[in-house]
Amino acid sequence: MNQEKIERLLARADEAAGEPAFALATAAGIRRRIHRKRLVTMAVPTTVAAGIVLGATLWVVCLPTGRPQPQPQRIASLEEQVRQLQAQTEATLKLLQEVLETDRRERRLASLEAEFASIPDPIREIERQVDKAAFILVYQADKVYQELNESESAVRAYREVIQFFPTSPWAQVARERLARIEQQRIHDTKRQEGANLWDARNT
Amino acid sequence: MSAMAKVCEDLALVERFRRGEDSAFDRIVEQHAAEVAALANRLLGWPGDVDDIVQDVFVAAFVGLKKFRGESSLRTWLFTITVNQCRRCRFRRRRLRPVALEEAGTVESPDRGGDKAAMDQETFARVRRAVQALPQKYREVVALTYLQGLEAGEVCRLLGITTNVLQVRLTRARKRLRDRLGDLLEEKS
Repeated sequence: MNQEKIERLLARADEAAGEPAFALATAAGIRRRIHRKRLVTMAVPTTVAAGIVLGATLWVVCLPTGRPQPQPQRIASLEEQVRQLQAQTEATLKLLQEVLETDRRERRLASLEAEFASIPDPIREIERQVDKAAFILVYQADKVYQELNESESAVRAYREVIQFFPTSPWAQVARERLARIEQQRIHDTKRQEGANLWDARNT
Repeated sequence: MSAMAKVCEDLALVERFRRGEDSAFDRIVEQHAAEVAALANRLLGWPGDVDDIVQDVFVAAFVGLKKFRGESSLRTWLFTITVNQCRRCRFRRRRLRPVALEEAGTVESPDRGGDKAAMDQETFARVRRAVQALPQKYREVVALTYLQGLEAGEVCRLLGITTNVLQVRLTRARKRLRDRLGDLLEEKS
Protein backbone atom coordinates (compact mmCIF):
# COMPACT_ATOMS: atom_id res chain seq x y z
CA MET A 1 0.00 0.00 0.00
CA ASN A 2 2.78 2.34 1.04
CA GLN A 3 4.71 1.37 -2.08
CA GLU A 4 1.77 2.34 -4.27
CA LYS A 5 1.51 5.70 -2.54
CA ILE A 6 5.20 6.38 -3.07
CA GLU A 7 4.95 5.36 -6.72
CA ARG A 8 1.95 7.60 -7.26
CA LEU A 9 3.64 10.54 -5.57
CA LEU A 10 6.81 10.04 -7.61
CA ALA A 11 4.86 9.77 -10.86
CA ARG A 12 2.95 12.99 -10.14
CA ALA A 13 6.11 14.85 -9.13
CA ASP A 14 7.78 13.68 -12.33
CA GLU A 15 4.78 14.73 -14.41
CA ALA A 16 4.74 18.15 -12.76
CA ALA A 17 8.39 18.72 -13.74
CA GLY A 18 7.39 18.79 -17.43
CA GLU A 19 9.13 17.55 -20.56
CA PRO A 20 12.91 18.09 -20.86
CA ALA A 21 14.29 20.33 -23.62
CA PHE A 22 16.70 18.82 -26.13
CA ALA A 23 17.61 19.06 -29.82
CA LEU A 24 17.59 16.03 -32.12
CA ALA A 25 21.09 14.98 -33.09
CA THR A 26 21.83 13.98 -36.68
CA ALA A 27 24.43 11.54 -37.94
CA ALA A 28 26.18 14.30 -39.92
CA GLY A 29 26.30 16.57 -36.85
CA ILE A 30 27.66 13.79 -34.68
CA ARG A 31 30.29 12.94 -37.29
CA ARG A 32 31.43 16.60 -37.26
CA ARG A 33 31.49 16.65 -33.48
CA ILE A 34 33.61 13.49 -33.29
CA HIS A 35 35.98 14.91 -35.88
CA ARG A 36 36.40 18.19 -33.99
CA LYS A 37 37.09 16.23 -30.80
CA ARG A 38 39.72 14.14 -32.59
CA LEU A 39 41.29 17.28 -34.02
CA VAL A 40 41.56 18.85 -30.60
CA THR A 41 42.97 15.67 -29.06
CA MET A 42 45.63 15.58 -31.80
CA ALA A 43 46.47 19.26 -31.94
CA VAL A 44 46.81 19.85 -28.20
CA PRO A 45 49.45 17.16 -27.49
CA THR A 46 51.35 18.13 -30.65
CA THR A 47 51.49 21.77 -29.58
CA VAL A 48 52.46 20.82 -26.05
CA ALA A 49 55.21 18.54 -27.37
CA ALA A 50 56.51 21.32 -29.61
CA GLY A 51 56.51 23.69 -26.63
CA ILE A 52 58.40 21.19 -24.50
CA VAL A 53 60.98 20.68 -27.24
CA LEU A 54 61.38 24.43 -27.63
CA GLY A 55 61.72 24.94 -23.90
CA ALA A 56 64.21 22.10 -23.56
CA THR A 57 66.28 23.46 -26.43
CA LEU A 58 66.34 26.94 -24.97
CA TRP A 59 67.24 25.52 -21.59
CA VAL A 60 70.08 23.50 -23.08
CA VAL A 61 71.29 26.55 -25.01
CA CYS A 62 71.21 28.82 -21.98
CA LEU A 63 72.67 26.21 -19.62
CA PRO A 64 76.06 27.49 -18.36
CA THR A 65 78.74 24.92 -19.08
CA GLY A 66 81.84 24.35 -16.96
CA ARG A 67 84.36 25.28 -19.54
CA PRO A 68 83.93 28.06 -22.08
CA GLN A 69 83.00 26.80 -25.58
CA PRO A 70 84.84 28.15 -28.56
CA GLN A 71 82.74 30.90 -30.18
CA PRO A 72 82.38 29.56 -33.81
CA GLN A 73 81.45 26.06 -32.61
CA ARG A 74 78.82 27.45 -30.29
CA ILE A 75 77.31 29.53 -33.09
CA ALA A 76 77.21 26.50 -35.38
CA SER A 77 75.51 24.39 -32.70
CA LEU A 78 72.99 27.14 -32.05
CA GLU A 79 72.24 27.41 -35.77
CA GLU A 80 71.78 23.67 -35.99
CA GLN A 81 69.38 23.71 -33.06
CA VAL A 82 67.39 26.58 -34.56
CA ARG A 83 67.19 24.66 -37.86
CA GLN A 84 65.93 21.56 -36.06
CA LEU A 85 63.39 23.63 -34.19
CA GLN A 86 62.21 25.24 -37.39
CA ALA A 87 61.86 21.85 -39.05
CA GLN A 88 59.84 20.51 -36.11
CA THR A 89 57.55 23.55 -36.08
CA GLU A 90 57.04 23.29 -39.83
CA ALA A 91 56.20 19.61 -39.55
CA THR A 92 53.68 20.33 -36.78
CA LEU A 93 52.11 23.16 -38.75
CA LYS A 94 51.93 21.00 -41.85
CA LEU A 95 50.22 18.23 -39.90
CA LEU A 96 47.74 20.70 -38.44
CA GLN A 97 47.01 22.14 -41.89
CA GLU A 98 46.49 18.66 -43.28
CA VAL A 99 44.10 17.77 -40.49
CA LEU A 100 42.18 21.04 -40.94
CA GLU A 101 42.03 20.51 -44.69
CA THR A 102 40.72 16.97 -44.22
CA ASP A 103 38.12 18.27 -41.80
CA ARG A 104 37.07 20.98 -44.27
CA ARG A 105 36.80 18.41 -47.07
CA GLU A 106 34.77 16.04 -44.92
CA ARG A 107 32.40 18.80 -43.88
CA ARG A 108 31.97 19.83 -47.52
CA LEU A 109 31.37 16.20 -48.46
CA ALA A 110 28.78 15.81 -45.69
CA SER A 111 26.93 18.95 -46.79
CA LEU A 112 27.01 17.79 -50.43
CA GLU A 113 25.75 14.36 -49.41
CA ALA A 114 22.92 15.98 -47.45
CA GLU A 115 22.12 18.18 -50.46
CA PHE A 116 22.20 15.17 -52.76
CA ALA A 117 19.95 13.19 -50.42
CA SER A 118 17.39 16.01 -50.48
CA ILE A 119 17.15 15.89 -54.32
CA PRO A 120 14.55 13.39 -55.52
CA ASP A 121 15.78 10.55 -57.76
CA PRO A 122 15.76 12.03 -61.32
CA ILE A 123 14.79 8.72 -62.99
CA ARG A 124 11.82 8.25 -60.70
CA GLU A 125 10.83 11.89 -61.27
CA ILE A 126 10.89 11.39 -65.07
CA GLU A 127 8.88 8.16 -64.71
CA ARG A 128 6.34 10.03 -62.62
CA GLN A 129 6.06 12.80 -65.20
CA VAL A 130 5.67 10.26 -68.03
CA ASP A 131 2.98 8.47 -66.08
CA LYS A 132 1.22 11.75 -65.44
CA ALA A 133 1.29 12.71 -69.14
CA ALA A 134 -0.13 9.30 -70.15
CA PHE A 135 -2.86 9.60 -67.53
CA ILE A 136 -3.84 13.10 -68.76
CA LEU A 137 -4.09 11.85 -72.35
CA VAL A 138 -6.27 8.90 -71.34
CA TYR A 139 -8.43 11.13 -69.14
CA GLN A 140 -8.99 13.67 -71.93
CA ALA A 141 -9.74 10.91 -74.45
CA ASP A 142 -12.30 9.43 -72.00
CA LYS A 143 -13.99 12.80 -71.66
CA VAL A 144 -14.04 13.37 -75.44
CA TYR A 145 -15.56 9.95 -75.99
CA GLN A 146 -18.09 9.94 -73.17
CA GLU A 147 -19.24 13.57 -73.15
CA LEU A 148 -18.84 14.62 -76.81
CA ASN A 149 -19.14 11.16 -78.37
CA GLU A 150 -16.11 11.94 -80.58
CA SER A 151 -14.94 8.38 -81.03
CA GLU A 152 -12.40 9.24 -83.78
CA SER A 153 -10.55 11.78 -81.64
CA ALA A 154 -10.65 9.43 -78.65
CA VAL A 155 -9.25 6.54 -80.72
CA ARG A 156 -6.46 8.81 -81.97
CA ALA A 157 -5.61 9.86 -78.42
CA TYR A 158 -5.62 6.25 -77.14
CA ARG A 159 -3.33 5.23 -79.98
CA GLU A 160 -0.95 8.07 -79.11
CA VAL A 161 -0.81 6.83 -75.54
CA ILE A 162 0.04 3.32 -76.76
CA GLN A 163 2.61 4.66 -79.19
CA PHE A 164 4.40 7.18 -76.94
CA PHE A 165 4.05 5.50 -73.56
CA PRO A 166 4.07 1.75 -74.30
CA THR A 167 5.51 0.75 -70.89
CA SER A 168 3.16 2.93 -68.86
CA PRO A 169 0.22 1.23 -67.10
CA TRP A 170 -2.00 3.77 -68.89
CA ALA A 171 -1.07 2.17 -72.25
CA GLN A 172 -2.85 -1.00 -71.08
CA VAL A 173 -5.88 1.11 -70.10
CA ALA A 174 -5.82 2.75 -73.56
CA ARG A 175 -5.74 -0.72 -75.21
CA GLU A 176 -8.78 -1.79 -73.21
CA ARG A 177 -10.63 1.41 -74.15
CA LEU A 178 -9.79 0.88 -77.85
CA ALA A 179 -11.04 -2.71 -77.72
CA ARG A 180 -14.27 -1.52 -76.12
CA ILE A 181 -14.78 1.20 -78.78
CA GLU A 182 -14.10 -1.38 -81.50
CA GLN A 183 -16.70 -3.73 -80.03
CA GLN A 184 -19.17 -0.86 -79.78
CA ARG A 185 -18.56 -0.01 -83.44
CA ILE A 186 -19.14 -3.62 -84.56
CA HIS A 187 -22.29 -3.74 -82.47
CA ASP A 188 -23.53 -0.44 -83.96
CA THR A 189 -22.77 -1.60 -87.51
CA LYS A 190 -24.68 -4.83 -87.00
CA ARG A 191 -27.63 -2.97 -85.55
CA GLN A 192 -27.56 -0.53 -88.44
CA GLU A 193 -27.51 -3.39 -90.94
CA GLY A 194 -30.42 -5.03 -89.13
CA ALA A 195 -32.36 -1.80 -89.21
CA ASN A 196 -31.62 -1.32 -92.91
CA LEU A 197 -32.76 -4.88 -93.66
CA TRP A 198 -35.95 -4.28 -91.65
CA ASP A 199 -36.66 -1.06 -93.59
CA ALA A 200 -35.98 -2.77 -96.94
CA ARG A 201 -38.41 -5.59 -96.13
CA ASN A 202 -41.14 -3.25 -94.96
CA THR A 203 -40.86 -0.99 -97.92
CA MET B 1 3.62 -1.61 -32.74
CA SER B 2 4.38 -4.72 -30.67
CA ALA B 3 7.57 -4.96 -28.63
CA MET B 4 8.91 -7.74 -30.88
CA ALA B 5 8.28 -5.72 -34.04
CA LYS B 6 10.00 -2.74 -32.42
CA VAL B 7 13.07 -4.83 -31.56
CA CYS B 8 13.19 -6.20 -35.13
CA GLU B 9 12.92 -2.71 -36.58
CA ASP B 10 15.72 -1.50 -34.28
CA LEU B 11 17.96 -4.37 -35.38
CA ALA B 12 17.22 -3.60 -39.03
CA LEU B 13 18.16 0.04 -38.44
CA VAL B 14 21.41 -0.98 -36.71
CA GLU B 15 22.24 -3.24 -39.66
CA ARG B 16 21.53 -0.44 -42.14
CA PHE B 17 23.74 1.92 -40.10
CA ARG B 18 26.54 -0.65 -40.14
CA ARG B 19 26.29 -0.75 -43.93
CA GLY B 20 26.89 3.01 -43.95
CA GLU B 21 23.39 4.50 -44.10
CA ASP B 22 23.44 7.63 -41.94
CA SER B 23 19.70 8.03 -42.33
CA ALA B 24 19.25 4.84 -40.26
CA PHE B 25 21.05 6.52 -37.36
CA ASP B 26 18.86 9.61 -37.73
CA ARG B 27 15.83 7.34 -37.47
CA ILE B 28 17.24 5.69 -34.32
CA VAL B 29 17.72 9.15 -32.79
CA GLU B 30 14.16 10.15 -33.73
CA GLN B 31 12.75 7.02 -32.13
CA HIS B 32 14.72 7.01 -28.88
CA ALA B 33 15.78 10.62 -28.17
CA ALA B 34 12.65 11.49 -26.19
CA GLU B 35 13.01 8.50 -23.85
CA VAL B 36 16.75 9.07 -23.44
CA ALA B 37 16.11 12.75 -22.63
CA ALA B 38 13.38 11.84 -20.13
CA LEU B 39 15.67 9.34 -18.36
CA ALA B 40 18.59 11.80 -18.28
CA ASN B 41 16.28 14.48 -16.92
CA ARG B 42 15.16 12.17 -14.10
CA LEU B 43 18.66 10.94 -13.27
CA LEU B 44 20.11 14.45 -13.19
CA GLY B 45 17.43 15.90 -10.95
CA TRP B 46 14.99 17.40 -13.47
CA PRO B 47 17.22 20.25 -14.71
CA GLY B 48 14.91 20.72 -17.74
CA ASP B 49 17.70 21.20 -20.28
CA VAL B 50 19.43 17.90 -21.08
CA ASP B 51 20.62 18.72 -24.58
CA ASP B 52 24.33 18.14 -23.82
CA ILE B 53 23.73 14.76 -22.21
CA VAL B 54 21.47 13.63 -25.06
CA GLN B 55 24.15 14.69 -27.55
CA ASP B 56 26.84 12.83 -25.59
CA VAL B 57 24.69 9.70 -25.42
CA PHE B 58 24.16 9.65 -29.16
CA VAL B 59 27.83 10.43 -29.88
CA ALA B 60 28.73 7.41 -27.72
CA ALA B 61 26.06 5.35 -29.49
CA PHE B 62 27.34 6.45 -32.90
CA VAL B 63 30.85 5.32 -32.01
CA GLY B 64 29.76 2.11 -30.28
CA LEU B 65 26.88 1.01 -32.51
CA LYS B 66 29.22 -0.96 -34.78
CA LYS B 67 30.07 -3.13 -31.77
CA PHE B 68 26.44 -3.54 -30.66
CA ARG B 69 25.87 -7.31 -30.41
CA GLY B 70 22.11 -7.24 -29.97
CA GLU B 71 22.22 -9.17 -26.68
CA SER B 72 19.82 -6.61 -25.21
CA SER B 73 17.35 -4.36 -26.98
CA LEU B 74 18.66 -1.14 -28.51
CA ARG B 75 16.52 0.81 -26.04
CA THR B 76 18.17 -0.92 -23.05
CA TRP B 77 21.59 -0.38 -24.58
CA LEU B 78 20.91 3.34 -25.05
CA PHE B 79 19.61 3.56 -21.48
CA THR B 80 22.84 1.95 -20.24
CA ILE B 81 24.84 4.64 -22.04
CA THR B 82 22.52 7.30 -20.60
CA VAL B 83 23.02 6.01 -17.05
CA ASN B 84 26.81 6.01 -17.51
CA GLN B 85 26.83 9.51 -19.04
CA CYS B 86 24.66 10.81 -16.19
CA ARG B 87 27.01 9.27 -13.63
CA ARG B 88 29.95 11.01 -15.29
CA CYS B 89 28.05 14.28 -15.48
CA ARG B 90 27.06 14.18 -11.80
CA PHE B 91 30.61 13.26 -10.83
CA ARG B 92 32.01 16.22 -12.76
CA ARG B 93 29.39 18.54 -11.29
CA ARG B 94 30.04 17.34 -7.75
CA ARG B 95 33.76 17.88 -8.23
CA LEU B 96 33.16 21.44 -9.39
CA ARG B 97 30.41 22.34 -6.93
CA PRO B 98 29.74 20.13 -3.91
CA VAL B 99 26.01 20.01 -3.16
CA ALA B 100 24.57 19.66 0.32
CA LEU B 101 22.15 16.85 -0.34
CA GLU B 102 20.89 16.69 3.22
CA GLU B 103 18.97 19.92 2.72
CA ALA B 104 16.44 17.97 0.69
CA GLY B 105 14.92 16.36 3.73
CA THR B 106 14.77 19.49 5.84
CA VAL B 107 12.47 21.55 3.65
CA GLU B 108 9.49 22.77 5.58
CA SER B 109 5.96 21.87 4.53
CA PRO B 110 4.30 24.64 2.54
CA ASP B 111 1.94 27.10 4.12
CA ARG B 112 -1.50 25.50 4.46
CA GLY B 113 -3.30 28.74 3.64
CA GLY B 114 -1.46 29.27 0.34
CA ASP B 115 -2.70 28.72 -3.17
CA LYS B 116 -3.33 25.01 -3.85
CA ALA B 117 -1.50 24.91 -7.18
CA ALA B 118 1.55 26.60 -5.71
CA MET B 119 1.35 24.24 -2.78
CA ASP B 120 1.25 21.24 -5.12
CA GLN B 121 4.24 22.57 -7.04
CA GLU B 122 6.17 22.99 -3.82
CA THR B 123 5.18 19.49 -2.70
CA PHE B 124 6.30 17.95 -5.98
CA ALA B 125 9.56 19.93 -5.91
CA ARG B 126 10.12 18.51 -2.43
CA VAL B 127 9.51 14.98 -3.71
CA ARG B 128 11.99 15.55 -6.54
CA ARG B 129 14.58 16.90 -4.11
CA ALA B 130 14.08 13.83 -1.93
CA VAL B 131 14.75 11.57 -4.93
CA GLN B 132 17.86 13.58 -5.73
CA ALA B 133 19.07 13.25 -2.18
CA LEU B 134 19.09 9.46 -2.47
CA PRO B 135 22.47 7.80 -3.01
CA GLN B 136 23.21 7.12 -6.67
CA LYS B 137 22.46 3.37 -6.61
CA TYR B 138 19.03 3.96 -5.03
CA ARG B 139 18.22 6.95 -7.21
CA GLU B 140 18.96 4.96 -10.37
CA VAL B 141 16.67 2.06 -9.49
CA VAL B 142 13.89 4.47 -8.48
CA ALA B 143 14.21 6.44 -11.73
CA LEU B 144 14.34 3.34 -13.92
CA THR B 145 11.64 1.32 -12.16
CA TYR B 146 9.09 3.83 -10.91
CA LEU B 147 9.59 6.79 -13.24
CA GLN B 148 10.79 5.23 -16.49
CA GLY B 149 8.53 2.19 -15.94
CA LEU B 150 11.03 -0.48 -16.99
CA GLU B 151 10.55 -4.16 -16.17
CA ALA B 152 12.64 -5.58 -13.31
CA GLY B 153 14.58 -7.84 -15.69
CA GLU B 154 15.43 -4.92 -17.95
CA VAL B 155 16.64 -2.80 -15.00
CA CYS B 156 18.80 -5.70 -13.79
CA ARG B 157 20.39 -6.14 -17.25
CA LEU B 158 20.90 -2.40 -17.57
CA LEU B 159 22.62 -1.95 -14.20
CA GLY B 160 24.29 -5.35 -14.16
CA ILE B 161 22.68 -6.43 -10.88
CA THR B 162 20.59 -9.42 -9.78
CA THR B 163 16.85 -9.29 -9.04
CA ASN B 164 17.55 -9.68 -5.30
CA VAL B 165 19.88 -6.71 -5.31
CA LEU B 166 17.29 -4.68 -7.20
CA GLN B 167 14.59 -5.55 -4.65
CA VAL B 168 16.87 -4.67 -1.74
CA ARG B 169 17.76 -1.33 -3.31
CA LEU B 170 14.14 -0.51 -4.03
CA THR B 171 13.10 -1.39 -0.47
CA ARG B 172 15.86 0.77 0.99
CA ALA B 173 15.09 3.63 -1.38
CA ARG B 174 11.41 3.49 -0.40
CA LYS B 175 12.35 3.49 3.28
CA ARG B 176 14.50 6.59 2.81
CA LEU B 177 11.75 8.31 0.87
CA ARG B 178 9.23 7.38 3.59
CA ASP B 179 11.55 8.89 6.18
CA ARG B 180 11.84 12.12 4.23
CA LEU B 181 8.30 12.39 2.91
CA GLY B 182 6.42 10.67 5.71
CA ASP B 183 4.08 13.62 6.32
CA LEU B 184 3.12 13.76 2.65
CA LEU B 185 2.30 10.05 2.57
CA GLU B 186 0.15 10.38 5.68
CA GLU B 187 -1.64 13.38 4.17
CA LYS B 188 -2.35 11.46 0.98
CA SER B 189 -3.84 8.54 2.92
